[in-house]
Amino acid sequence: MRWCLAFLLCCFLAAVNALSSSGSRLLVVLDDSTEKSSFSTLWSDLEGRGYDVSFESPKSDKLSLFEHGERAYDHLLILPPKSKGLGPNLTPKHILDFLNKDGNILLALSGKSATSSAISSLLLEADIHLSNDRSAVVIDHFNYDTVSAAEKHDVLLLQRPASLRPDVKAFFDGEGVLALPRVAPQTLGSDSPLIAPVLRAPNTAYAYNPKEEVPAAEDIEATGSQLNIVSAMQARNSARFTVLGSVEALEDKWFSASVKAPGGKKTTTVNREFAKQLTAWTFKETGVLKVGEIKHHLATDGEVALHDLNPKIYRIKNETFFSIEMSEYSYDKWVPFELPAEDELQLEFTMLSPFHRLNLEPTSRTETSTVYSTKFVTPDQHGIFSFRVNYKRPFLTNVEEKHEVTVRHFAHDEYPRSWAISGGWVWIAGLWSVIGGFLAFVVVWLYSAPVADKTKKTQ
Amino acid sequence: MPAKRHAASTTSASTASTPATLSSGPATLKTNASAAEIAQHVWQQYLATTSQRTMLLDAFMAFLVLVGGLQFLYCVLAGNYPFNAFLSGFCAAVGQFVLTASLRMQTSDKSGPVVSKPSSKGKNARFVDDDDEEQVSGYSHERAFADYIFGSLILHFFCINFIN
Repeated sequence: MRWCLAFLLCCFLAAVNALSSSGSRLLVVLDDSTEKSSFSTLWSDLEGRGYDVSFESPKSDKLSLFEHGERAYDHLLILPPKSKGLGPNLTPKHILDFLNKDGNILLALSGKSATSSAISSLLLEADIHLSNDRSAVVIDHFNYDTVSAAEKHDVLLLQRPASLRPDVKAFFDGEGVLALPRVAPQTLGSDSPLIAPVLRAPNTAYAYNPKEEVPAAEDIEATGSQLNIVSAMQARNSARFTVLGSVEALEDKWFSASVKAPGGKKTTTVNREFAKQLTAWTFKETGVLKVGEIKHHLATDGEVALHDLNPKIYRIKNETFFSIEMSEYSYDKWVPFELPAEDELQLEFTMLSPFHRLNLEPTSRTETSTVYSTKFVTPDQHGIFSFRVNYKRPFLTNVEEKHEVTVRHFAHDEYPRSWAISGGWVWIAGLWSVIGGFLAFVVVWLYSAPVADKTKKTQ
Repeated sequence: MPAKRHAASTTSASTASTPATLSSGPATLKTNASAAEIAQHVWQQYLATTSQRTMLLDAFMAFLVLVGGLQFLYCVLAGNYPFNAFLSGFCAAVGQFVLTASLRMQTSDKSGPVVSKPSSKGKNARFVDDDDEEQVSGYSHERAFADYIFGSLILHFFCINFIN
């Protein structure tokens, strides 16, 4: 049955060129149709990857993210509206409800106009902060495009970001130069583990409000790499929320513009490729983990019989084998999940707190998955334990597996017999010499009945 | 009467003069005997006045003390793993000792020659009734011995089970 399903799925995947792992209904919220035409390459790219793109104006009455209490769309792409706010159908509450129901959101901002307070308060929910006057743009006098922004220096030219840390997978890296015109910068709060920067501004950048006559140097809240151009939040239900500072970077104009950094050569931008990476990650085409089969059983040399697999009960000090099958979705198919270089997938054997926390090693690989496994000895403590795999990393969907088992103590006949322990031989000898002495004593006692006593008695 | 009082006072005053009141045994000890002489005398007295069965009991008890002591010494020196084996072996020796001591209490007092204990008047009065000897301790020797065997078997049963 499983193979049948897998085969059908393969056929289905072959028929559709690419498909997100979590649905294909994409709603684009944008102001008017003139704007729509300037992003035509993006729409055709998304449709080419299998999305069902529908467009709505934020002012439209028909616009609703939910239908009969369920999500009407799987993904949401919000372009910055010209008017104030997103209208009554897209309040921050609606958008958060959409996130809570596993919908993914890509929100584009623009430095051209001030961001509405509704969007600002939505971002605050995710601990992403905009600048105070909400109309600042990022300026960099060293990494700007000399062709289009020779005067204002507000078109940033940046490399695509490498991985955030050595232990985090890179989903947005690659060769080439990105052009990011008029970026609305964001700063990230420090105490939320759910948010992560995707693309930071270079060290020489700063935020500046072009509408102000005199730049107030003392008012600068954040500079350099504190400013984020693209930031991402992955909620605890693995729904994704990405904020892109520059909506213009997605325009056809910038997808293949030729740009020139100061003192550099003329190159064409890789915005189109980056837009693909960014939408693919946000709409769950990449960085999605799937747990396949989880097996645990007593460690044996040969094959494990089916009825010995995943037992409900173990004994203390049993040598136990655990394996978990992990797949990662990559654009249109499941591929074996590979750990980043400095990261570990760990198994916890826990009762209230972990008694074991062990690194799982990749042991075998199938076409679509990697099998990670480890062996350990159950602790000398009986109770209700659980095998837990708790793998939560930036840019990867959360994996939290919990399988409860009972760990019992030794049964009375499972202890080693005392003669098997050489240390106890002395006491065994002691016990048997007492018994032997007793028997000898009884025999001697019976043969030494006092005759005198009896004669005395009869007298 | 003065003589008896003198004897009673000497028993309480010093062990050396106690055997002097015994009716049988080797020569009485002098009042200023050395420790070795006293020990020697006690030993001679013991050999002379103890019945064979009581001596057998004493020998068995000494054996049990030896076995228990060795097991305890081994536990102190080599550690108590496996602890149940130690408990079992040691408790077998101790329990057997206690049971044997009980048997000795129940059988020894009249198995030897009748000892006149001068201090207890009531006991003396009872000794007059010499025919009904066994009523004095309450039980016959056979009954005491059967109890002893029964208790010992229970003890051995538990110890063998516990040593696993």
